[in-house]
Order: sequence, then C-alpha cells, then structure tokens
Amino acid sequence: MDNLQIENNILETIKTAFKVEGKVVREKRVEITAHKQLISSILLFAKNQHNYIHLNHITCVDWIEDGEFEINYIIWSPTTKNTLIIKTRISRENAQMENIDNIWDQANTYEREMREMYGIEFPGLIGEHEFILEDWDEMPPMRRDFDTLEYATKTFYQRPGREDAKDVREELTKQSGEEIPEFAKKYSREK
Amino acid sequence: MTITENNIKQPIGEYIQNWARKHSLFVLAYGTGCGAIEIPPTMTSRYDAERFGIRGAATPRQADVLLITGYLATKSLKRVIRVYEQMQDPKYVIAFGSCTINGGMYYDSYNTINALDRYIPVDVYINGCMPRPEAVISGFVELQKQIASGNAYNATKYKENLEWYRENQKKIIKNWRMPDYNW
Repeated sequence: MDNLQIENNILETIKTAFKVEGKVVREKRVEITAHKQLISSILLFAKNQHNYIHLNHITCVDWIEDGEFEINYIIWSPTTKNTLIIKTRISRENAQMENIDNIWDQANTYEREMREMYGIEFPGLIGEHEFILEDWDEMPPMRRDFDTLEYATKTFYQRPGREDAKDVREELTKQSGEEIPEFAKKYSREK
Repeated sequence: MTITENNIKQPIGEYIQNWARKHSLFVLAYGTGCGAIEIPPTMTSRYDAERFGIRGAATPRQADVLLITGYLATKSLKRVIRVYEQMQDPKYVIAFGSCTINGGMYYDSYNTINALDRYIPVDVYINGCMPRPEAVISGFVELQKQIASGNAYNATKYKENLEWYRENQKKIIKNWRMPDYNW
C-alpha cells in the first residue's frame, strides 16, 4: 500500500476534519461522500490546505429510483496530481444546492447548465435563466422521467419507414446463438 | 426559338441561363452538423469539386446552394431559416446525411428536427451516415441535372407556400422574432 500513501493521507485528513465517508478508488483518485451542507467547507478546505486548486467538473446524476440527484464535484491538485471526487445527494423534489461560484468562478457555467438540464436551483446564481436551450417550456430534458421519444413524436414530424428497423444486438445474437443478458432485454425493440 | 437537349424543350434564353447556373454553384460555407467534415475533402485536391464549378461563398447573399450537413438542432434551424431567406434567387438546398431525411440516429432527440423538408424546401437529398465525397459530388451532379432541365424551382415553391412552411417553423421556434425579407 506504499504507493497509495498520498491518497490515504488526504482521505484521513478530510475524514478527521469533517467526519465524512470515503475511500481510495485507485491510484490518484479519492472519493468522498458528504452531506450537502458540508460541501462548500470541504471544497474550501481541499483548495486551501491541499492545493486542489482546479475544478475539473461538476456533474449531476439522476437517481430516480431513490428520488434523489447526486452531484459530483471533481477537483484536481497540480502538486500531487490527484483527483478528488466529492459526492452529495439532494432531494429530487424542489432540488436546491448551494452555489459555489465564490470558490471557483467557472462553477457558474456548470451550475447554469444543471439548472437548465435538471431543474436544480442554485440561490444567488448570476446569469440569464436561458442558457443552452431556446424557448424551452417543458420539463428539464435531462431528467430521466422526461420521455424524449414521446416529445420528439409530438413536436417533430416522424417520417414513416422506421417500423421494420431491427435491433443490431438481437440480430447478432440470433445469428450466433448467444444469449442476451437479462438487463439488456428491457431495451429490446421487439415488444 | 427553342432548343432540345435530352428530350427537354426549352427557349434558348432559358437554356443558356440554366447552363450558366449549373456550372457556377456557389456553396455557402456554413456547417450545421457533423457532416461538414466531409466538405473539406470534397473541396480540396483529392476530389476537387471545383471542376464541376462548385466552390465556396462567404455570405448568404453571394451563395446559390445551402448545404445542410447532418443533424439540425432546433436552435440552428432558426439560423438556417434566416440564412435561407437572405439568399438571393436562384437558390437551392442540398440536405446531407440520414439525419435530415428522418432524424437518423437522433430520431428520438428532444432538440433535433427529423424531416427537413417540412421547414425549408429541399432540392436534393444525399443519404448515408456520413455520405462520402463521391456521394456529395453525385448529389451536386443530380442538382445540376435538375437545373439544366429547368425543374429546380423550389425557391418559388417556398414563396408560394410560405404559410405552410411558417406554420411548421413556428411549431419549433415558439418565440418568433425574425425579420421579414421581401424578395
């Protein structure tokens, strides 16, 4: 475990400072799960104490089964070349998350995108409400309960001729006699 | 005085006009989708489209052909309509790739249109994902044949059926703030 020393050190310091859960995923990658109220203090701590000065990305995952959004903050340190992923879960109903654009200015872009694509509100966010989509008046389109096919059928003209389109995976498995895994069956076109 | 070529009878003035038009197709350099990547090889020395008189034009007002290269997002449809309406007669549209025909692999996407000819008139469709430069050139040759026979009158069709096109366009572009061009 010698080669994971830096990673373990960082995990231990953050764990003792904040009492959060976390693990070392692999070399140069540490993952931490925290409550949403701790996020800005953990980010500031990592930025000021451990030189994680670069915000790689803020991503959002829709866990519709749990009724939650997961927000991941991915930050990177140029001294140790380590990536730190900080995860948090927020409720899907009236989704609201703390605005961190006072820590990194570029967070503004990601937050505006999340506001538009997932409908997560960030209090105090600067910028027009319209970011990428123009004249959008439906549900935020990246939410998993937004049915894109239904929306496309309703909005755009569907040209006939797709009815006999075949599933490539199924055709290949039929030819080779291989079995389709159980999880792949629900994506089948033949219903 | 009329002239007959390939069983098509035309007045000689029109014949000369069409002959000149088909040999100088100025293409608007406006790449709308991923298919724009096939245009550089078509235009440069390997396939050399200029031997057919096909070359780039800088602005819509100088162009004859509008290439819709690949998928068209609802956002860029608005720009395409403005570009098309700024172009001077005679003007032609070549739609490129399966995305413009029936949506292609983006048929269920929330922000790409599926059938281009509902929004602007299309003279030639080139299928494929992506069409190779040979296919692109064959599409242009097809357009040249249409021009020579005097059948490429889609710009007139657009003017005459503007209401139908506007209705479809406004279904996508809900907040319609576009200038009116008087051709």
